[in-house]
Amino acid sequence: MKHDHIRPLLVGLFVLFAAVLPFITGNLYYLHVATIIGVYWVLIATLNLLVGFTGQLSVGHVGLLAIGAYAFCLLAGGQGWNPFLALLTGGAICAVIGLLLGLPSLRLPGFYFAMATLAFGLIVSELALAEQWLTNGSVGMPAPSFPAPFDTPWGFYWLVLGIAIFVTWMTANLARFMWGRAMVALRDSTVAASSVAVPIYFTKLMVFVFSGFTAGIAGGLYATSQTYITPDAFIVNLGIYFFVAIIIGGRGVIIGPFIGAAVLAAIPELVGPLAKYGTFFYGFILLMVVLLLPGGFGELISNLALKLRRQDQASTSIEPDLGALQAAIRGKR
Amino acid sequence: MLLVIVSGLALGGLYGMTALVYNVMYSTSKVLSFGTGQFAMVGGIVTAWLVLDFHLPTWLGFLACLVSGAAFGWLAEVIAVRRIVAVSDEHLWVLSTLALSTMVQEAMAIWWGTDPTPFPRVFPQEFAGAFDQKFWFPLILAVLMAVGLEQFYRRSMIGKLFIAMSEDSFAARARGVATDRMRSLSYVLAGMLGALSGFAGGQLTFADFALGTALGLSGFIALAVGGIGSSLGALVGGAVLGMLTALTTHYFGAEYQKTIAIGLLILLLVVRPQGLFGTTRVRQV
Repeated sequence: MKHDHIRPLLVGLFVLFAAVLPFITGNLYYLHVATIIGVYWVLIATLNLLVGFTGQLSVGHVGLLAIGAYAFCLLAGGQGWNPFLALLTGGAICAVIGLLLGLPSLRLPGFYFAMATLAFGLIVSELALAEQWLTNGSVGMPAPSFPAPFDTPWGFYWLVLGIAIFVTWMTANLARFMWGRAMVALRDSTVAASSVAVPIYFTKLMVFVFSGFTAGIAGGLYATSQTYITPDAFIVNLGIYFFVAIIIGGRGVIIGPFIGAAVLAAIPELVGPLAKYGTFFYGFILLMVVLLLPGGFGELISNLALKLRRQDQASTSIEPDLGALQAAIRGKR
Repeated sequence: MLLVIVSGLALGGLYGMTALVYNVMYSTSKVLSFGTGQFAMVGGIVTAWLVLDFHLPTWLGFLACLVSGAAFGWLAEVIAVRRIVAVSDEHLWVLSTLALSTMVQEAMAIWWGTDPTPFPRVFPQEFAGAFDQKFWFPLILAVLMAVGLEQFYRRSMIGKLFIAMSEDSFAARARGVATDRMRSLSYVLAGMLGALSGFAGGQLTFADFALGTALGLSGFIALAVGGIGSSLGALVGGAVLGMLTALTTHYFGAEYQKTIAIGLLILLLVVRPQGLFGTTRVRQV
């Protein structure tokens, strides 16, 4: 019973820490880094459902991020929509595109699908450069900011934090109950899953729609956090970063990818000289994790927790009360 | 128009060669390496570096290109494939080869720079429009490579062992084939052929650090169109993709290259998943 209280306590402490972070550090740059991590997490949390739980290796979610960002800028900036409405519309557009991206996964095996999503990411950045009437080409476009309470760096940070917590909560709910079991079953053996009546197509496509939606939301938030977007911001390397964060965090764990995302985003930002080697570093970490720790850090942590827990279940020996037993037997006679 | 067709065929040759390299590695290890295009990138840059910066003769650059490719292929097998194949998890090799490919590309970007640099002339020939060596060299080399690989698979002992391993690795091992050594050898061969394709296509693509990812994707499309395991399919798939790319560039502009290419891939995979020349394999459940 004791351990059931530890996890909510940790989560609560972390949320509290994240909420008061602007008061702890007055440094705007650190706040910006924290905001960016939050924005990435909105995307990664549900990409984890796709990569970690369902086992669909999507490298191209950066394309969805780009579409969400451009949709947000066009609607809220160009058309003068309410930013929140524009954010939701961008999410809806990306949900539809996520559905389309998911369709080939019903037929393509792992590597084929990874290549198709890689190509999707490349196509989006190619089209963002080419369709100048829509996206302004390589010049890029300014991103609108949110209305009054959220227009300061602190306000925006809290907005991102709120959305991130909401998305995490939804992800956790999905992952813990029947949907999550269905996803893991699909990942481990599609044939076995379908033989016990897991709806393969429906489950896969729902995950794609959900992760597409939050990727679109993350795109809009990303645009605002950068204040100006160009096609260069959405290079394939960013997609690889999302992917690496999930793998090193551990597939099929919720909190692992968060640690991965935070560490990967923070290290190049906070240790200046590493910025140039950022992508090299991601590749190196990915290789090390795949070779040495295939379950990722999440699995390492849960294994450690399991070991700690085992001590509680130490076997207790029961001494038979021989006197009472004898009395009972004799009494019956 | 002649120039469009010729450049399309040349690009097709390059894609076809990459698809052949995929095939060589796939035959022994059942791994489709994300880093396949990087062999060409490394080979091209090493040659350009030695010949242009150190003024070495071209044939020496060619040798160095082959050696660097062989070394890289061997390293790729040792680092990213050997342990993964031993574990035999389905998806891990995608990740390990992606990681290695990313590392090599970024290392090259840092060391060589991100600007494409020109590649030295291979043969003494005046610039001759559509009949320039930058067009016919990759095309001829692609055909030679496909024919050579077919002969290698059919006539030589080692080639036959590759085929045996691609049919059934365990059975080959049971009959006394040193499967680990053969796999290593196939990666060395793949690295050499990949570097050779980089050498052949160097004048077309320039020595560019980003070549690897683009070529890896295009080569894979050529492979998927042609069907895994087929040399003829690799050539045909490469030629179809190259022609499509050149025609798209000519009529719609270079911005739409990848859109068309990937459209072709998705269409074909949905209609005919095993490719034009591939064979279906019955999967045991």
